Amino acid sequence: MEAGIPILWISVLLPILVGIAAWLAGPRREEQVRAYAVASFLSLAIPMVYVAYYAAAGALPQGVLDPLYYKAETIRFGTVALALDALSAPIVFGVSLVTSFVALYSVPYMRVRIEEMRAEGEEPPSMGVYFMLYNLFSAAMLGLALSTNLVVFYVFLELTLVPSFLLIAYYGYGDRRRIALLYFVWTHVGAALLLAGIIYYGVKAGTFDYLTVPGLQPVVAETLVGGAARVIAALMLVGLFVKMAIIGVHMWLPYAHAEAPTPISALLSPNLIGLAGYAIARFVIPAFPETLLGWRDILVALGLATIIYGGLVALSQTDFKRFLAYSSVSQMGYILAGIGTMTKLGIAGAMLFYLSHAIGKAILFMTAGVFIATLHGLRDIRKMGGLARLYPKTAAASLFGFLNLAGIPPAFGFWAELLVILGLLAVYGGSPNSFLILVTALVLALGVSAAYSFITMKRIFYGEPKIKEAPGEGGILVNSILAIVVIGFLVFLAANAFIGPYEAATALSVVEHLSLLG
Amino acid sequence: MVDPTLIWAIPYIGAGILALLWVAGYREEKVFAWTSVLSILASAIVSTIVAYDVLANGRVIHVTYKWIPWINVEAGTYVDGLAAVMSLVVSWLSFLIALYSVEYMRGDWGVQRYFFFITFFVGSMLLLVLADNLVLLFIGWEGTGLASYALIGHWYTDEEEYWVGVPGRKALGVPMYFTPSHSGLRAILFTRIGDVGMIAGIALIYALTGTFSIPEIAEKAPEWMASLASGHYLTAALLIFTLGAMAKSAQFPFHEWLVTAMTGPTPVSALIHAATMVKAGVYFMLRFAPIFFTGALASGIPAVVDQVYTYFEIIAGIGALTAFMMATMALVNNEFKLILAFSTASQLGYMFLAAGAAGVLIKADPEAFAYGVAAGLAHLLSHAVFKAALFLIAGWAIHVAHNRFIDYMGEYAKYMKATAVGMWLAGLSLAGIPPLSGFFSKEMTLTTAEEAHLTWVYLLGVVTAALTAAYTTRLILRVFHLPPYEKVHAKPHEAPPLMLVPYMVMAVAALLLGLGWSGVSSLLSKAWGLTLAIEEAPLIKFEVTKGAIMTLSLSVLSIAFVGAAYMVARVDFRRILATSKAAKVIHDFLFDRWYINALIYLVIVNGFAGIVLAATAVNSAIDWFYHAGLVAAFGAFSMAFRRLHRGRPDYYLALYAYLVGLVLLLAYLAWG
Repeated sequence: MEAGIPILWISVLLPILVGIAAWLAGPRREEQVRAYAVASFLSLAIPMVYVAYYAAAGALPQGVLDPLYYKAETIRFGTVALALDALSAPIVFGVSLVTSFVALYSVPYMRVRIEEMRAEGEEPPSMGVYFMLYNLFSAAMLGLALSTNLVVFYVFLELTLVPSFLLIAYYGYGDRRRIALLYFVWTHVGAALLLAGIIYYGVKAGTFDYLTVPGLQPVVAETLVGGAARVIAALMLVGLFVKMAIIGVHMWLPYAHAEAPTPISALLSPNLIGLAGYAIARFVIPAFPETLLGWRDILVALGLATIIYGGLVALSQTDFKRFLAYSSVSQMGYILAGIGTMTKLGIAGAMLFYLSHAIGKAILFMTAGVFIATLHGLRDIRKMGGLARLYPKTAAASLFGFLNLAGIPPAFGFWAELLVILGLLAVYGGSPNSFLILVTALVLALGVSAAYSFITMKRIFYGEPKIKEAPGEGGILVNSILAIVVIGFLVFLAANAFIGPYEAATALSVVEHLSLLG
Repeated sequence: MVDPTLIWAIPYIGAGILALLWVAGYREEKVFAWTSVLSILASAIVSTIVAYDVLANGRVIHVTYKWIPWINVEAGTYVDGLAAVMSLVVSWLSFLIALYSVEYMRGDWGVQRYFFFITFFVGSMLLLVLADNLVLLFIGWEGTGLASYALIGHWYTDEEEYWVGVPGRKALGVPMYFTPSHSGLRAILFTRIGDVGMIAGIALIYALTGTFSIPEIAEKAPEWMASLASGHYLTAALLIFTLGAMAKSAQFPFHEWLVTAMTGPTPVSALIHAATMVKAGVYFMLRFAPIFFTGALASGIPAVVDQVYTYFEIIAGIGALTAFMMATMALVNNEFKLILAFSTASQLGYMFLAAGAAGVLIKADPEAFAYGVAAGLAHLLSHAVFKAALFLIAGWAIHVAHNRFIDYMGEYAKYMKATAVGMWLAGLSLAGIPPLSGFFSKEMTLTTAEEAHLTWVYLLGVVTAALTAAYTTRLILRVFHLPPYEKVHAKPHEAPPLMLVPYMVMAVAALLLGLGWSGVSSLLSKAWGLTLAIEEAPLIKFEVTKGAIMTLSLSVLSIAFVGAAYMVARVDFRRILATSKAAKVIHDFLFDRWYINALIYLVIVNGFAGIVLAATAVNSAIDWFYHAGLVAAFGAFSMAFRRLHRGRPDYYLALYAYLVGLVLLLAYLAWG
């Protein structure tokens, strides 16, 4: 269906306008900064509302097209359009949920951060600039999830990169300029490979569209591009793997996510990297189904290996944020494993995983930020312990965050994990050998996830309190986390709003065809 | 008609209210305590009405609400005979124990959190037993695990008084004392491993049948079991599916978590780690053993029957081994709650044994199957009642002693007569002495093992019965009748009514259930007749058999022997074992839990830590490669390239000529 008003474009452009306004007005007073935060929150929260609305209206399986679109077919470009459907709904919701509440969280956190930098004799850009970059970054991620064309997708991808790079360079920790550069270069290596694939695709297929407009049918490019399918698919996959930080090409991630200012870590990790997984499900699989079917075992194995590897390395980390960064690597493995099954269940599970990881990891990065902001930059897990006594609400929220990572109800992560496992068993349950190998891998993967989750929970929050006094928790710093917890629990109950649309999702019609073959 | 969904929904709603109050900053203890107690009571009343409807009218109630239609997950409540009995036991015991907690937890700094998790637990446990599909069952299952984790680690600041084990003691270099936060971690990680097997099994069944619905899975059992059997992995698949049940019910090799779970507040040990949650695995067996059994029979394929037979044989074996192993550990321990914990795991072994042995009858005597699983349920029921009573008494005893070791307790019979009576009733029920309920249910279990011709399993069961009688007697005599070993300052006194009443109710119930065993067994028989995959009500009648006489006389002998030794001769076997040089090996072996905990740490935990180190080393290498090696290589390349640009015309000319040549060559290749 077509939306009545161009709500999708509004949701992408409004935050940017708010950001620009904040930048031009500059932060003169504290109240002004708060007003920017509230305006950013409201504009970034719009997608949550419309996702819920369209889910209730049953419009997600066929998809919702924004009425403003431009067909540029004469230059073999395709169409500039935005659309929302079953596949992108959890992604858009996840981006909206995290970016909106982290906008509020930014105010107290960045106040501390900027004061701290001033005390060190530095003069970081003002909160006006911060919100401009922040909103640009957030809106670009929304645009990324909503786009229907590879070029538009790529433009939004670059739009996420520049503001996030600047945010790390301006407000980050440690050797922040070097790390910002490292982040920029590495993800660009991925982006360049992806771009090569995109250009090759466009030239061969005669269009850059991956969804038709206005029908929103996936474009199966395999037949259009002929023998180039394998090369294009491989370029895109490897490029996206770098973005996603799959085992072997993950090394940039721990630096960037650990040293970014915490609100930005809470966007990079929960939102940005998972978008690469979404991209694989969004256009790589539908465009090249047969090719990817041939690589199924490799993709699944790579996914499971990433889960285990990321989790193992996470266990040896002593820095809370670096730990969370490795946990993100591990979580990306679940997304890849789900997508790799090439089944509707697995792909649906992977997309749900995006949302559950967004919820869980946002909560945890924000928790890390609470300690950094209130306990003089405390990040070393070894110096924590017993913090639940001083931070009971934060502890409860963190437990909920870890439940999301470990896939334990009543966290939404349970549904995600369940669907991924259903997808895996649907493919590998049929013979004793593959079944036993899969079960062994699952025991390791899920075991490692649970292990690092609960071990870290213990290290940080339980045991004899090592810190006797703290300013305590409260205010928007902690309440914004609790809000995400509440919404996270509600989406667990209302999971059908996200899962239901996959049953008849047009976006996965190609995969349905595949499972009939296989 | 009352909607049976309410049975599990009410406690969940109660828990939700408590969570909201807590987040809102409200901390009034009484409100938390009584919201919890009353929501559990409401749930118990509804479950009674529903159970009455099921058992009296002989009908199965099935109510469903839509949840996730695509994958056929419904919020469905299925009350058949088994579920009715289970929900009755769970809800009423939970109510009594919650009531006891009101007094026990008064003034505790985490009391709000405590009642939240207790209420959440009760909702989850009831969801688990009433769920009509595997996903819902699994949600309840994980909910109980989460509550268990949180409550084991309730006193997470880890003061020494809340530890279990003797501080400082090591076995094979591995510490054998555990803090609450450590114990909570152990509980959730041990059970999580089993749960992965369970979810994999669920997904496998879904892949084969396209449904999670337990009745539908039962209906389709012949087909999906045949399909697995033809690939020769039915036994393996069923065992993996059952892994969750084994971990939850603390069967070897997962039993270790239950032992250290005793760091939780005592009502938690009573409710979660004795009466209900640890029975979830047994419930799973009772729910699915009939499905596997009738499915295999209905398929009519010998391979299916063979593989199911092997599965049940393994289950029976694990049950028997656990029963025996844990009973031996209970013999020498000196912590009140630990003795009870060993005993719980041991009794859970009996229940697994019953279910496994019943299944083994598939070849010998399929007609007797229903009796076998009924034995499992009977023992579950009687054990839930008497063990909860024992734990609640332990809670009081530890409270008045200000110490968890029984060496600091003694002659409590003088100070608390009612409690002593309760202790004897519950204890003798555990020891399997007629006319208490424990005697009958244990007898049913052993009869099943005997009929299944599992000689070793049966013998282990009988020996365990004698050991059980011995350690129970020792415990009661030590605490209630002999003077304390160590100097004690605390003056014991009787428990306040709010604590006394719950455990006295249970202790008396253990007696009444036994006295009215014919009524109980006809009720159980009726329940089984109404249970999924079992169409006929089994005949449950107590008969005096040679086996029964033998087991009983062994138990009585062992009580008499221990009684005489301790009371008359004033000999303490545990002390003798612990102090004599020769016997110390045996003592340490038993006291340190067969060194299984130490081995798990040395091999698995350390092995895991080694893998973590290895992965981290690999990771550093990758880091070095990208951020030092590759950078250096690019730097060197850049330096080399720069050497070409030194402002010397001859270099430039040579380079120019070379590049022109290259371009020409490429042009020739492309167009030529």
